Amino acid sequence: MSQKKKLRKTKSFQRRQDKYGYLFMMPWILGFLVFTLIPFVMTIYLSFTEVKQDIRGFNIAFTGIYNYRQLFLVNTDFTPALVSFLGMIVPYTLVVVIMSFILAMLLNSIVRGKAVYRTIYFLPVVVLSGPVMYQLMNLTPQVEGQVNELYHSFLIRMIQSYSPQAAAAMVSLFDNLSVILWFTGIPIVLFINGLQKINPSLYEAARIDSATSWQLLWKITMPIIRPTALIVTVFTIVQLGGMDTINPVLVMIKERTANTSGGFGYAATISWIYSLIVLLIIGAAFVLFRERKIKETHKYW
Amino acid sequence: MAKRIGKAVTYLLLTCIGYIYLEPIFQMISRALMSSADVINPSIEWLARNPTLNNFRVAAKVLKIPGSLINSMGFSALLALLQTFVAAMTGYGLSRFRFRGKNFWFVMILLAFILPTALLMIPRLIIFILAQQATGIQFLGTPIPQVLMAVLGQGVNSTILILICWNFFNLVPYSLDEAAMIDGAGPLQTFYHIAVKLSVSTVLIVFLFAFVWNWNETYQTSTFLGGSMDLLPAKLSVFDSQFEGIANAGVGSTSNFKINEAYKMAATLISIAPLLVLYGFVQKQFIQGIENTGITGE
Repeated sequence: MSQKKKLRKTKSFQRRQDKYGYLFMMPWILGFLVFTLIPFVMTIYLSFTEVKQDIRGFNIAFTGIYNYRQLFLVNTDFTPALVSFLGMIVPYTLVVVIMSFILAMLLNSIVRGKAVYRTIYFLPVVVLSGPVMYQLMNLTPQVEGQVNELYHSFLIRMIQSYSPQAAAAMVSLFDNLSVILWFTGIPIVLFINGLQKINPSLYEAARIDSATSWQLLWKITMPIIRPTALIVTVFTIVQLGGMDTINPVLVMIKERTANTSGGFGYAATISWIYSLIVLLIIGAAFVLFRERKIKETHKYW
Repeated sequence: MAKRIGKAVTYLLLTCIGYIYLEPIFQMISRALMSSADVINPSIEWLARNPTLNNFRVAAKVLKIPGSLINSMGFSALLALLQTFVAAMTGYGLSRFRFRGKNFWFVMILLAFILPTALLMIPRLIIFILAQQATGIQFLGTPIPQVLMAVLGQGVNSTILILICWNFFNLVPYSLDEAAMIDGAGPLQTFYHIAVKLSVSTVLIVFLFAFVWNWNETYQTSTFLGGSMDLLPAKLSVFDSQFEGIANAGVGSTSNFKINEAYKMAATLISIAPLLVLYGFVQKQFIQGIENTGITGE
């Protein structure tokens, strides 16, 4: 009898939790359904259709894989845009993640002046926007020849002889280093936060066992910081991808979306393929940073 | 001794990299002060020979200051306010109640951040056009679409705002909620009187982030709002094309203003100045806000 009563009580407790929980979650869930989930499914559907708009509304005609064939076999802009997007996102993300990790390590090792440096490194987060980036990246150097020097440097020319694309990517990387570094603001803070949570006695114990700083970095810091690195990587990919100044595919989608008289289906195809590739890159980051099984020998430190 | 050298190298590196960070801003200031003769003078790299503030005057005119400044502030503040409210509610719901399907929704919140905005734009646009036809109210070209999305938690970087709130509410002891409930407060009252009032500083941080992100967002704004409202970043993005007509009309047809780097940089500087001032006042809170997201694995 009493057990039954108790059961009823937990049931009513659960019901109340459900009620209040969903009460607070309601706006978000509603928004998610209307503005994220339905659009997500709709984009996939629209990518197989041709959308025409007339006075009475939308006229959606199913066209099968016509858009896809157009995109890859007829359209000559898409594939190069996609390639240059990949040539941007991969090296830029690498630079942002590695630089923010190094800076976080450096900042973590000093005591005086830490706040000042952090303020400087975080500043770009506040001012970074597409138009500002556009103006900065198209700024011609006051003194002619600064860029040209880089183009003709020995290293770049050497790379150029193997792969012109790689050389172009590298030159753009160095040209825009300042603006790329502007994406490290939030990652640095996340990394510092992660570093500070590492128990210092781990380092002490390893040092007593005569581990070098290099070993400390690879055997203690890196494995512990891995989840943070994953978050930073995903965050960086999302941030970089959303900047139309450096993302030619986004510009393509934007132009097609602005054209309301039609072409929505085609635009949907572009954005779907593009998003699929972004999601694949994020998936690759997950695989790269996944928890690895601790080897037998490391179990009994 | 080796330690001291190591430390000196660390500081040197940090300072050099800090310089790289600030270099674009130094460039902006240096260029913005140059007269048109200085801009084409190759012997001048940093310091203008004839510093002038005229660039700012012209750039402000093209950017439609003060109208666009007031619009931008109002628009960003409105969206930020709504986003903050929803983020606090969602964060509280996640932090306080063990409702069924909670983990699922949590994953969805993270997923909403990863999905590229470009993927969702076309259906969103179609939804608004359909709603427009169904209700007869003009949606596109007004702030309504973005207000709606902010109210329903789908604004810019909403996920991060929710995570900041969620993590902070996790730190507020649950016994305070219980005490309030024993005294007869309902869940909404508890939310307001306990969670929100205790975390005014966090709510403020969330608001500031939302403000800055909404200010800097141009993709959705250009699609949904178009050019129907003068906003500062939007004006900056069309600065080059709008320059000559407006600048010449304002000063008189005899003088011929040619666009140059000095005007562009003055305009860029004007457009980020409000954010820089804001950052000057609350930079510490900004950094703490990201530290408090708790997404680094607890």
